[in-house]
Amino acid sequence: MTAPSLSRNLWGRRFDSPLILAGGTAGFGRELALLDCWDRVAALVSKSVTLKPREGNPPPRIQETEYGLLNSIGLANPGVNSVVQQEINGSVNIPCPLIVSVAGEEEEEFHRVVEVLEGSPMPWAYEINVSCPNVASGGLPFGSEPSAVERISRAVARVSSRPFAVKLTPNAGDMVETALAAQEGGASGLTVCNTFLGMKMDWRTGSTLIPRKVAGYSSPALLPLVVARVWQVSRTVSIPVLASGGVARGEDVLELLAAGAEMVQVGIRLMRRPRAASELFREAEELLQ
Amino acid sequence: MNRILPDDFIAETASVRRIRPGIVCMTFSAPGFRSLPGQFLEIEVSPGPFPVTRRPFTVNRLLPEGFEILFDLRGRGTELLSSLSPGSPVRVLGPLGNGWRLGPGKWLLVGGGMGCAGFSFLAGELEEPPTVLMGASTADRLLPFDDGDLRVITEDGSSGPRGRVTDLLPGIEPGDYRVVAVCGPVPMMRGVWLSLPPGHRRRVQVSAESRMGCGWGVCGGCAVPAAGGGYVKCCSDGPVFAGDELDWDRWTV
Repeated sequence: MTAPSLSRNLWGRRFDSPLILAGGTAGFGRELALLDCWDRVAALVSKSVTLKPREGNPPPRIQETEYGLLNSIGLANPGVNSVVQQEINGSVNIPCPLIVSVAGEEEEEFHRVVEVLEGSPMPWAYEINVSCPNVASGGLPFGSEPSAVERISRAVARVSSRPFAVKLTPNAGDMVETALAAQEGGASGLTVCNTFLGMKMDWRTGSTLIPRKVAGYSSPALLPLVVARVWQVSRTVSIPVLASGGVARGEDVLELLAAGAEMVQVGIRLMRRPRAASELFREAEELLQ
Repeated sequence: MNRILPDDFIAETASVRRIRPGIVCMTFSAPGFRSLPGQFLEIEVSPGPFPVTRRPFTVNRLLPEGFEILFDLRGRGTELLSSLSPGSPVRVLGPLGNGWRLGPGKWLLVGGGMGCAGFSFLAGELEEPPTVLMGASTADRLLPFDDGDLRVITEDGSSGPRGRVTDLLPGIEPGDYRVVAVCGPVPMMRGVWLSLPPGHRRRVQVSAESRMGCGWGVCGGCAVPAAGGGYVKCCSDGPVFAGDELDWDRWTV
């Protein structure tokens, strides 16, 4: 096998970089525009959008741990109608394709959000965030039930004129089985994967700082877990895999591409380094020379 | 707009001093750096992967060719930062957020503990020297300030009267001040807000504090309860807010 190329193809479009800004770490692009950090950004995944406004979880929403970061943002967003007016059609013209992340509390919500987004010319694709809790099944994530993921994908495929990736959760079920269900339902790609459930407890008091207690955990130390999942999923499905999780160095990007990813998302590294895409690309390019 | 837009740049550590037990003052060389008082910086405390986020610091003072920060040693991040030697390069994102809404007239600055960092910078930008009420747990924890009418109070009485900074408010006529600028722990800021007669609360600006993820508005981690429901982002909507923009009943952390 030869080393991976940094030129990629996704859904009929050619990119000179594999790097996508991960959902929830890039807003809707407004802040990146202020800092002008678009170099080597292939695409941007927005914050997750729901049908109705969500104010998000009570603070504190962020806690750093010894080797990573817990977040409990709670899908804060003003609802799809406001998002389309204020964020997507409104202020900023982002110089790269926009992938809008879609979330929901019940199965019907995903395709209803996509129906509204179809009225805007701006999105290039969607990312379906099935990691949120399914209230109807006692709070387990939709992504833990392959049949639910297949139904959601089918409903989105029916109303969408655009490609969409399903963002898988590592927290329940067999990810390969869920990936196949998403593909069967008509998904155009898979994002592997969302954050891992984590919790930090004060051993003196038995309490947690984050009110919801359990939160999403991100860390560069999770890279091998993501590499394994990207490898398992990509050799099973025939649709492209977008790797997400653990990327902090150019070498990590190359490793995920070698494991079978078509594109690589960058999340908490972007929070720390607004020019993460440019920096990671340069590091990867140097390694390839 | 009361903000200067940020850049991600490399500064050079110029000096590291323990000015009080547990309180560190660091200066950095960064030619051309500009900031408004109230804006802050996100500093990488280690070039390695951990900790995964930067640490936020208010700009304590601008220097001719750089800036100064003041902080409490209270964890791994601040320990790492304070162990740097002069000459060490440090990655800095800033200045971030908005600054105090500067304007004419007499200002009253009310600060608790490390919340008084940046007061000298702010005072230097005002048209007349402010009155400053400064509270701390002990005399050791009072920050330096020498540009106005300073009144101090400590919880143990080791400097000034014994008490909290809100205990100095009865000696103040709020109507004498155009702006009441407040910074410190949330309970202290709430105490100041509640102590002021409602008719004078429109004068209040607060510099909020919250646990931050990114510091530049993308993650939504630093939510502060907003008046009328929902949240504002401390890092990019603030950190300076008018007192009546916040929901003081819900703001507990």
